[in-house]
Amino acid sequence: MSEYEAVIGLETHIQLNTTTKIFCGCKADSWEEPPNSNICPVCAGLPGVLPVLNEQAVRKGALLGAAMQAEIRLRSFFDRKNYFYPDLPKGYQISQFDQALASGGYLDLPMPDGASRRVNITKLHLEEDAGKTKYEGGLRYVDFNRCGVPLVEMVTEPDLRSADEAAQYLIRLRQLLRWLGISEADMEKGHLRCDANVSIRPVGSRDLFTKTEIKNVNSIEAVRAAINMEIQRQIALVEGGGRVEAWTLDWDDAHNRLKKMRSKETEADYRYFKEPDLLPLVLSEDWRAEVLESLPELPLERRTRFMIKYGLPEYDADILTGDRPLSNYFEAALEVYGGDPKVLSNWIMNDVLRMLNELGISADKLSLKPGHLAGVIKMVDKGAINAPTGKSLLVKVQESGKPPEDIVAAEGLAQVSDDSALIQVIDELLAANPDEVASYRGGKEGLFGWFMGQVMRETRGQADPGRTRELLMNALKGEG
Amino acid sequence: MSDEITPELFTKLVDLAAFAFDPTEAAYLRQELNNQLKAIHQLEGVPLSNDVPPAAHGVTYTSESRPPLRQDHWGPCENPDEILAQAPQSEARYFVVPDIPHTELD
Amino acid sequence: MAILDHSAFEIAKKVQRGELTAVDVLTAALDHVAAVDGRPGTLDGGALSEEDQAKVHAFITLTEKRARRQAEAIDERIRTGENVGPLAGVPITIKDIYCVKDTPTTAASRILANFVAPYTATPVERLEAAGAVTLGKVNLDEFTYGSSTESSAFQPSTRNPWDPARVPGGSSGGSTAAVAAREGCLSLGTDTAGSIRQPAAFCGVVGLKPTYGRVSRYGLIAFGSSLDCPGPVARDVRDAALMLSVMAGADPRDSTAATLPVPNYLDGIDRGVKGMRIGLSPDYMHINFPDPDTGDILSQSLPDEIRAATLRAAETLAAQGAEIIENVSMPNSAYGIPVYFVISRVEAASNLHRFDGVKYGYRTPSEFRDLHEMYRKTRAEGFGLQPKLRILMGMYVSAAQYSEHYYQRALKVRSMIRSDFETAFDPGGPYQLDALLTPTTPTTAFKIADIYGDSVLMQYADQFTVPANHAGVPAISIPGGLSSEGLPIGIHLIAPDFAETTLFRAGYAFEGATADADWRKVKPRVLLQAGL
Repeated sequence: MSEYEAVIGLETHIQLNTTTKIFCGCKADSWEEPPNSNICPVCAGLPGVLPVLNEQAVRKGALLGAAMQAEIRLRSFFDRKNYFYPDLPKGYQISQFDQALASGGYLDLPMPDGASRRVNITKLHLEEDAGKTKYEGGLRYVDFNRCGVPLVEMVTEPDLRSADEAAQYLIRLRQLLRWLGISEADMEKGHLRCDANVSIRPVGSRDLFTKTEIKNVNSIEAVRAAINMEIQRQIALVEGGGRVEAWTLDWDDAHNRLKKMRSKETEADYRYFKEPDLLPLVLSEDWRAEVLESLPELPLERRTRFMIKYGLPEYDADILTGDRPLSNYFEAALEVYGGDPKVLSNWIMNDVLRMLNELGISADKLSLKPGHLAGVIKMVDKGAINAPTGKSLLVKVQESGKPPEDIVAAEGLAQVSDDSALIQVIDELLAANPDEVASYRGGKEGLFGWFMGQVMRETRGQADPGRTRELLMNALKGEG
Repeated sequence: MSDEITPELFTKLVDLAAFAFDPTEAAYLRQELNNQLKAIHQLEGVPLSNDVPPAAHGVTYTSESRPPLRQDHWGPCENPDEILAQAPQSEARYFVVPDIPHTELD
Repeated sequence: MAILDHSAFEIAKKVQRGELTAVDVLTAALDHVAAVDGRPGTLDGGALSEEDQAKVHAFITLTEKRARRQAEAIDERIRTGENVGPLAGVPITIKDIYCVKDTPTTAASRILANFVAPYTATPVERLEAAGAVTLGKVNLDEFTYGSSTESSAFQPSTRNPWDPARVPGGSSGGSTAAVAAREGCLSLGTDTAGSIRQPAAFCGVVGLKPTYGRVSRYGLIAFGSSLDCPGPVARDVRDAALMLSVMAGADPRDSTAATLPVPNYLDGIDRGVKGMRIGLSPDYMHINFPDPDTGDILSQSLPDEIRAATLRAAETLAAQGAEIIENVSMPNSAYGIPVYFVISRVEAASNLHRFDGVKYGYRTPSEFRDLHEMYRKTRAEGFGLQPKLRILMGMYVSAAQYSEHYYQRALKVRSMIRSDFETAFDPGGPYQLDALLTPTTPTTAFKIADIYGDSVLMQYADQFTVPANHAGVPAISIPGGLSSEGLPIGIHLIAPDFAETTLFRAGYAFEGATADADWRKVKPRVLLQAGL
């Protein structure tokens, strides 16, 4: 057990899913487009251009701030952050420095032992994205398509204590962003980017020691691996008598290692000053109230509610509230079903989720509507159809879009529970297979499964298994 | 009397501003900057009470004069290729620049 | 009367009525340009011949073919009975700091010498939509940094048509010289510390700095984003009012363009000044200047002729019924230049970051090892002295450790400059002014090369004009007389936010009252020499 604890803060950049960029009318999403086709004089930083703020970017940023329990300022300012880089066409980034859209805020992260870790937010502001550069043959190739896409930068206090917690934070953040509908939050596509600040300190200390910054982690697993590696490196270094220096480290995903980039001692002087081409952002009390009211029940709140109100285990609640459409689906189905929520939960976690994964869609896009699902489960509960039929019925409903009751009727899928029908099938079966009957009666009890299978085949899977078992048992014993 | 902008400080500013000067030009510029600073120092004599706000703009904007925020509607540029055509160096639709110096110490 | 002796107002009427064709007007303008302008400013302009020294050199780029297409289109629309707009056929020039699509837009700098704008600035769009015919882009101080036009990378830089051995003022020197020399009727300039008004005074024409935010800045290559104002240069007040009516108003591409309605500035322009309260301030009636040895700021009195012209203007307006209020206290205006040294430089340094050889404009042709070297060489070679000075100062006073002391302090003093004007114009305050009357400049046009090189002295040429930029209020310079050397003297009126109407009325009244003055009969030397 190490005498050191890890101290981790995360800096995330979140790409908002507005239609247009933050300061001009170009598209916010140009993932597939040829380079430098989604540009205009404004986002390409031509001489003489001016920024014009996108209302939706403000709205989505405010929504995130509200969901993070931050205070939304009624009067906030944009600032210029000045530096030279080829992907920054104006030579400055329009960002927010000290009087940003939101102030304060936190996320209560559920921890494995049932406790929760409060991760405080130190910065939550709007800014514009830069372009992209790629390196090839000694030259840099610059594409401005992405320049000007609206970003929210959110920085946590160093409140996280392990790589796993950091990964959890990102998972919860990603879930929240999709839940609110403000970002696709796909790390591989750069919708959610993360830099990690890592330091260590003796257990029990409350001081902060020199930290390193890890960049270029493009997946949650990479974040986890990189932070773990860096913690180990720092501990080994300090235990060996060395000192941690303020390095910037680049995560090399291909080789699973960290490379030192540059030392961070001299902070760049960005010479922040209030952006004179934009007026102060003035929001009315009404507007702010409207945004707050539009906040849906948040994922962790709903998860808790599912546990309490429906008596679901944490595991189920977590999966069912994984995304908003799925959780809506659950509740809509439950309303029609009216039965045991755990039964419904099982059906969704097993069959519906598998279907969603195979189809690659979200629950609100299913043709298998919540009411349909409820109908199928009710039929199984009643014994009108058996469980295997029920499972295959889900697929049939999804493919045809027809209500399950109609399909059962049309295809004659009703469970055969009628004794006389079953007895007939059983009698015919035993008559047709005297050798097997003799073997069974002679002691080969394993053949029972074969007989069951044959009955199922004869009845096209619709035999009521329980009743069949009883009748078959009787018949084989000779009490037909 | 020492200059406020010393040669060392001047060199730092030149670096920040991505410039490079020969000694004659550097001397002249540094001299002019220090002369300008003498004028700027007049501001130190202005009595400022605590509640004087910094004015980013002179004119006061009101709800009548302040433009509304932009609606989130796509309005593509008619001629993005004309922008690319201005590039001092371009290739396959990219702006091309020399590589950034890396200090990869290990 | 020659076509170009008419005002823009009159030419537009004649073209609308079919008495003149737009092509007629254009031909006259181009002939005139050929007669007085000499060769345009170019990079590496070389030594000046004797002929060079007698010409105006207002132009960087003459856009003759484009102008012809515009003029022909107007004439076609008139033939078919379509509406052609209030500036129909009026020849104008555009300060080469405005982007005009498919024309070289140089900012008078080597770093943009090869830049062809892919879009057009809003004010230019509006002027051309109103029927104006653009003769071309005229010269200026590099990136508008200066008060003499001498810093242009395109030489010969513009000369003063009244005496070509003197500067036209700056930075809109090309604009005011062109209008004074009748190269077109109107010009679109910019005013950041007085860059329209000061050269207007030097060249004997009308120059207006509208209220900040009155005219859209979209397409104006930025210097001081919180100070820059596009504005009209004209030969008389009515023409300036006409031009502003066309250009002003909200623009969805400029977040600082005010959404207030634009009045028809010609309406009631002849209402006169009866009852108008016009102030005089002792704070504007002496000159501050830097001691050449110590750099300390000293005070001296205004040149007699300039004082006299200003007081005569007050008397003239009083005779027309205005009430003159003396001893208006404007104590913080004296800080206008120091505040300007800080604020404008911070904004300029940032605005010029984008000129890096990556996307457009100049890139060093010499060898470079890496990106940083490319940046340095490009910027060192592409920028002239004035941008370099402004960028370096801007870097210094906005650096993290100095920003509070310099930049934040300057912003506060700016508030105080503004509040002096608010007090002066407050309808319930001690003065209750409609306008403040001051001289436009501390001197008449100085000789070429006399001041250039002393950046502080040069900046102090703007000491009377710059406070209006800090406060955002509108101000106009109108010809107020000639000095004993035959050089124009400008008088300057400042009004409250969005009260350009007041400026036009007062200016129009002054023009009317002095219409027969001897000094109005004198033409600039360049015209006389060309027999025009």
